[in-house]
Amino acid sequence: MARDLEQILAHVASLDALDTQGVPPTLHGFDLPTPLRPDRAVPAMDPELAVLNAPARQGTAFLVPKVLEEEG
Amino acid sequence: MADWRDRWELVIGLEVHTHLKTESKLFSPAPVRYGEPPNHSVHEIDLALPGVLPVLNEQAVELAIRLGLAIHATVNPVSVFARKNYFYPDLPKGYQISQYEEPIVSKGWLEIEVGKGEQSERRRIGITRAHLEEDAGKSIHDDAIAGGADSAIDLNRAGVPLLEIVSEPDLRTPEEASAYLRTLRGILRAIQVSDADMEKGQFRCDANVSVRRRGETAFGTRTEIKNLNSFAHVEDAIEAEALRQIELIEDGGVVVQATMGYDPERRRTHVQRLKENADDYRYFPDPDLIELRIDPARIEAVRARLPELPEARRARFESEYGIAAADAGLLTTSRTLADFFEATARACGSPKAAANWIVRDLLRELKERDLEVEATKLTPAMLAGLIALVEGGRLTARSAAEIFPVLVSEGGDPERLMAERGLEAVSDTGAIDGLVEQVIAKHAEVVAQVRAGDDKPLNFLMGQVMKASQGKAEPGSVRSALVRKIRG
Amino acid sequence: MSQAEKVLAGSLADQRAALDRSEINASELAAASLAAIDRFADLALVVTRQDEAALRDAEESARRIAAGRARSILEGIPVVLKHNIVQKGESATCASHILEGFVSPYDATVVERLRAAGAVFVGRANMDEFAMGSSTESSIYGPSRNPWDPSRSCGGSSGGSAGAVAAGIAPLALGSDTGGSIRQPASFCGVVGFKPSYGRVSRWGLVAFASSLDQIGPFARRVSDCAALFEQMAGHDARDSTSLPEPAPKVCERLDGDVAGLTIGLPKEYFVESGVDPGVLARVREAIAELEGAGAKFVEVSLPHTTHTIATYYLIATAEASSNLARYDGVRYGRRAKDPVDLEDLYRRSRSEGFGAEVKRRILLGTYVLSAGYYDAYYGKAQRVRTLIRRDFEAAFRGCDLILTPTAPETAFRLGEKSGDPLAMYLSDVYTVSANLAGLPALSLPCGLANGLPVGLQLLGKPLDEVTLMRVGDAFERRTPHHRLAPPAPPAPPAPPAPKGAA
Repeated sequence: MARDLEQILAHVASLDALDTQGVPPTLHGFDLPTPLRPDRAVPAMDPELAVLNAPARQGTAFLVPKVLEEEG
Repeated sequence: MADWRDRWELVIGLEVHTHLKTESKLFSPAPVRYGEPPNHSVHEIDLALPGVLPVLNEQAVELAIRLGLAIHATVNPVSVFARKNYFYPDLPKGYQISQYEEPIVSKGWLEIEVGKGEQSERRRIGITRAHLEEDAGKSIHDDAIAGGADSAIDLNRAGVPLLEIVSEPDLRTPEEASAYLRTLRGILRAIQVSDADMEKGQFRCDANVSVRRRGETAFGTRTEIKNLNSFAHVEDAIEAEALRQIELIEDGGVVVQATMGYDPERRRTHVQRLKENADDYRYFPDPDLIELRIDPARIEAVRARLPELPEARRARFESEYGIAAADAGLLTTSRTLADFFEATARACGSPKAAANWIVRDLLRELKERDLEVEATKLTPAMLAGLIALVEGGRLTARSAAEIFPVLVSEGGDPERLMAERGLEAVSDTGAIDGLVEQVIAKHAEVVAQVRAGDDKPLNFLMGQVMKASQGKAEPGSVRSALVRKIRG
Repeated sequence: MSQAEKVLAGSLADQRAALDRSEINASELAAASLAAIDRFADLALVVTRQDEAALRDAEESARRIAAGRARSILEGIPVVLKHNIVQKGESATCASHILEGFVSPYDATVVERLRAAGAVFVGRANMDEFAMGSSTESSIYGPSRNPWDPSRSCGGSSGGSAGAVAAGIAPLALGSDTGGSIRQPASFCGVVGFKPSYGRVSRWGLVAFASSLDQIGPFARRVSDCAALFEQMAGHDARDSTSLPEPAPKVCERLDGDVAGLTIGLPKEYFVESGVDPGVLARVREAIAELEGAGAKFVEVSLPHTTHTIATYYLIATAEASSNLARYDGVRYGRRAKDPVDLEDLYRRSRSEGFGAEVKRRILLGTYVLSAGYYDAYYGKAQRVRTLIRRDFEAAFRGCDLILTPTAPETAFRLGEKSGDPLAMYLSDVYTVSANLAGLPALSLPCGLANGLPVGLQLLGKPLDEVTLMRVGDAFERRTPHHRLAPPAPPAPPAPPAPKGAA
């Protein structure tokens, strides 16, 4: 996989040859502002449905191996 | 170390995370609710199910603009939502949507009051930026969960809108830091941007702290104390961290950049993680959201609807009601308290008396009971009624002070309480004359001194009459009755 | 061939007519489609049947048709969904172990709209894992096999959808196109495939690969069928912030067969002899001659940044993917490693066991190009080059109404031929990725055979100008017999060597 990545990075390095000074980035296909949603709440999901796919749960909470506070 | 403040100066900057007062979440239409069982207030978006997309809440933008205007800041016409990528089980998408290089609000300030009474002065504290972001969920650690081997993940809080407000490193003492937080909280509440209830986790603070010898101009190496959740902890943690740094330097060591935790029981800070191990968050503009554009007309519309700010209200209390500067400052620390004062002043027509009652008596009661004014039974109408009874001479100050705590804890009609307890002031001449005659008969020697022209013992006699009336006699009437009976 | 099978082999228009004339009812048609899924099981085209939901929906459709209350042209028509578009109560695996067992609690917008139009979803199509590939080989279901030659690829990543329409499992299918994932398989399988303008079709419920490039689009056997399906699912959706506010265009009523007076651009950078199969180039030149005969004018245009499109595309797509795929952590849904010793182990093993090699490769690349110190050189640079590529098209469209190119430089390649060389696989997307980078609508339609395999013709339109593309595609179809070419039936039993990951 490392060799594949090296090969791919070598290919994308071709962009170095292009002068993009002063060129703005394109983040999307079109130029519009983000739409805004009115602040209205909809009923929350049925909690049983929310955890239906959970690989491990207790009640309506998801379970993970103990989260430890980071210590230096 | 006692005199460390003479030799060392602290440099403090604060990052505040405050929950915005919205009905729904920042990017999902799930309701914002507190105290629900796990995952009872979530939407598909909050669970980061495959295929979901964020849509920005308009009210969150409105509230961010409101804060921007309140802190004299620039509301940027274009701002960008970025993804902050890191793995944590309470972060469902594996990234947090935040604002990075282009926040919605930048370069503002607020004024804090430092020092007490005569020596107090106002200081301007810079605010670098304020940006919108979503809160994470909660990891619950409990030995009851899988015998303590697992943590439970609750995503009710995931997606709740936050404003992160970052100050300049302009604060110099722990007291200034807490004054800044109180002022900021007052503003947030006044403009109804946030309830900023620390106990509910709606107002959280991280503190960046460094120290330098007095006279030095360069900043020292700073550390960041995370998750301070009460005003007392903020002050104590900053002081503890400053002392740790000073001791370290005085012992020939150096401060290293680190994230610190604070243990309030031991009153000590400890290193959680060194900055050199800091995550690379790989920020990039969120491709699911386009840039946020804010029309100048929209900013002006928000400005027009902006509620009165604490500093403006304080000035108005001084000029409109003739309240002393210090009292006006105290009355405007919270919007509810200021509203309470204005309603009382209007109802009783005596703003100074209203201010006195609130600043001296009410604040003391609140402090003793650790309550906010809205959590008591006292209403402005009740307090106004009490003040009217005193001003009308029907209730003495002593009796009023007896009724007041009852109103705070139980409420009620002050006039009825007065009647039930038989506290109405006695100004009826016949009743007072009777008491005066009894006292004159008991203290013949003192009466003789008064008759001879000495006014000093008159106060003693007055005290005796008041005592006999159980504090209900109206003092003016007592005095004139004594003078009339002794001197003719 | 039974009556139902005969109807199923026809176009949307044929099936509509048969349903409306009660020659067959919607339940029978759905049953025939489900049976066809099984008949072609060896090709791994449609890999999950949705019998229960399909038969229930078909029955309701049949009742509405009988009562004269058909909801749209799609009432009772079987439709295949790619495995990355969610439907409530159904699986959406993205052909990945990491989403095995996941059942969606909600509907994608396209599913909602097509169901409201009366469509019947019969099953889910195979794909490259998380849509990352051009051959539908990197799938937990094993590779899709091309109905024209089972030893060959359907293309990808929507290979199962394209193959299902070519094989006659359903007249219509949905795919997703991030860098050519609808058009290249349409080309390889000899069907029509369409990528709408970015923002035309809601992405709500499409499992994200690269958010700024992904679009859902239709497959069909006729341009007019493709247009009908597009019309029913396009249009603004408030749940997708990148959804265009404009109403969906009315395309079907504009298909008049007339191309006279249109100017079609031929990018000189795309018509180079090297790297393109001569058979492909010959078919495309014949198509040009055909359209010229119909009154279209051709001009040469230039897209000078063409050589940089693949690099730009892979930088942007992998960066976005690395973040989009962070949610698969084994906590809330999907695959979770057994008995994790701690949180770190849960993440590492769930993801390492759940994702295939190509997905891991792209996550790794995307993580790298976004990391501090490399962002400007890679991701930032690519977003600027993307602007240059968009400007190339703006300039070219000043001199023409649409652009014509081959869809792919080759016909369907053999399975396994490119799976050992990721870069070669990436480079085969050279004609298709620019439409995603510039957000343009793009159509691929059959234009004949080369080496006995279908060749695709690609039409690129101005942003939002889906109508012109469909008009030209439809006019071409009316003048040529290529869309009537069908794969030889029945398919031979597949030749063995299935690359890794077969399930």
